[in-house]
Amino acid sequence: MIYVVTALPWEARPVIERYNLKRDDNCKFFPMFKGSNMCLIVSGIGKMASAIAAAYLLSGGNAGQDAAIVNIGVCGAVKQQYPIGTPVLIHKITDHETGRDYYSDILLEHPFAEGSVETHNQIVRREYIDSGQSRVCTDFVDMEASGFFQAASRFLSPHQIYVIKIIGDYLEVEEYDKNKITGLIARAMDDIHGFLEHVERYCRHDEPVFSDAEQQQLEDIKKRLRLTVTQGHQLAKLAAKYKLRTGKPLPDFSDIIVDEVKVKAEGRKAFEEIRRILAAE
Amino acid sequence: MRRSEGYSLLNRFSHIYIEQKALSYPVTDRILKRFPRSVKVVVQHYKDVFNRTHQDFRRQKDSPKLILAVKQEPFLYQGPEICEDFGNKNFYYASCVLNCLYDCDYCYLQGLYASANIVIFVNIEDFFEDVQKRIEYENLYLCISYDTDLLALEGVVPYASKWIEFAGGKQNFNIELRTRSANYGAVKRFTPAEQVVLAWSLSPNEVARRYEKLAPPLETRLKAAKTAVEDGWKVRLCFEPILKIQNWQEIYSAFLKNVFEIIPADRIFDANIGLFRMNREQFKRISRFRTDTDVFAYSMVCSGEGIMSYAEGERMKDFMHRQLIRYLPGEKIYS
Repeated sequence: MIYVVTALPWEARPVIERYNLKRDDNCKFFPMFKGSNMCLIVSGIGKMASAIAAAYLLSGGNAGQDAAIVNIGVCGAVKQQYPIGTPVLIHKITDHETGRDYYSDILLEHPFAEGSVETHNQIVRREYIDSGQSRVCTDFVDMEASGFFQAASRFLSPHQIYVIKIIGDYLEVEEYDKNKITGLIARAMDDIHGFLEHVERYCRHDEPVFSDAEQQQLEDIKKRLRLTVTQGHQLAKLAAKYKLRTGKPLPDFSDIIVDEVKVKAEGRKAFEEIRRILAAE
Repeated sequence: MRRSEGYSLLNRFSHIYIEQKALSYPVTDRILKRFPRSVKVVVQHYKDVFNRTHQDFRRQKDSPKLILAVKQEPFLYQGPEICEDFGNKNFYYASCVLNCLYDCDYCYLQGLYASANIVIFVNIEDFFEDVQKRIEYENLYLCISYDTDLLALEGVVPYASKWIEFAGGKQNFNIELRTRSANYGAVKRFTPAEQVVLAWSLSPNEVARRYEKLAPPLETRLKAAKTAVEDGWKVRLCFEPILKIQNWQEIYSAFLKNVFEIIPADRIFDANIGLFRMNREQFKRISRFRTDTDVFAYSMVCSGEGIMSYAEGERMKDFMHRQLIRYLPGEKIYS
């Protein structure tokens, strides 16, 4: 599953259109849009808003090893190194107010330029930098990335968290043109889509130890033998080790577990027998 | 770039994170010139990258990055009980590099560090200075390739060479350079030094192929060790970790026979036998995420010192000792 956080609706629009996402009216707190394998949220401006939105998306407990989250939005470029509209994959995020830095793990090939971004509470304008009122040590500035990253990294590994910024201006804009921003992001969508496809495949590629049938078999054993939570964990651990050691599917325990046990002692006895079989080397 | 199932991994060291303080060191300069196409990212402190929470060691091994940093004191650490001191007093180790190029299933580093990225401390001269101070008043036996494989990394940073140069001719000082690499050529030019032991970790091919990813095969390690012996170096053979695999007795017996058919036993400085063992906390941590190997799936016991090893460890060790003593005198075998 790919989770997307954008600050503004016009940043979200190209993503919604590309993936044919549908508004989820059940979400009362944010504009949220869902597709088969994507969930997008519009956070509002600012790092706190972005952090709350990221946490809201990821805290449901469903975001695991196969999830990734990306913040997509426009940024200002401190130097005129790249043209307006260039999508940039951020490898370092600095929070202007706290001075703390955050880093994505960039393990996959990507079509983007790379750079660093500094997240500010206020809009950074060229004259602030020229006058020395603002000091920026990064390539780009934005208003969300540090909050987004900090929140996301409570839930996910750094190779599952990305910030993609599209250069919107060189810090000289007085008023933002919504259509222009939508257009800039729309033009970057091919690259973004290609990258997110790779991210999704990469985050997915671990094979689970147990097949669905084996998972069901273990659940069945736990239920029938009335195992305690601790015994359940022990069973799963022993079964995983058995599979790793032997490379074979789990044995058939049907002759040990005939029916649902009436008293716990019966369950313990059967569990000991299963334990003996699984631990044999 | 390496292609896998529908995605392409970046080459290792695609990114180099450089501590602000490390920028001015010649070693940094050299490494950056060695990898001109890498993306350089300046960081305040190496731990900001290395010690991040929730890092995925396995995934990072797919495309490890370099971190260049300046080490603060202490530069040397006392050798732990779990490691063989080969009868030396004042056994210390130096970690001028953290993490390794290889990807061995059984490696303790994956439980020790939060990250698979490789940290190179660029202030090697500070390590030398500390050693110099110590050896003025006491003996020092120093393992220099401890939380890493320095010889394997010689193409990235020539620290094995620097240590050998530094140690040569020194009184009160001995170093062990342990490796799984076949990169002896990188230090062949030096005159063998009395103070330096070149130690090769050797495993049967059945183990190396299955559990020591990216490390060279046994044959090439043996060839490297043999050349070093012939050149007059003190060569140590480290038979560890001994792993429990199917038919391990037959495999390890044939393996020792193979080793001493190639390497003249009478010219070996010494050898050691070490079972697969690990600090309990590291073992627990690693076995939680290593669901792709059977190394952690055998029954283990925990010693009073908190070291996990095979339940039948003593029997395995005895077996290996009985095999090894056929080739080497008892006083040269440490176990």
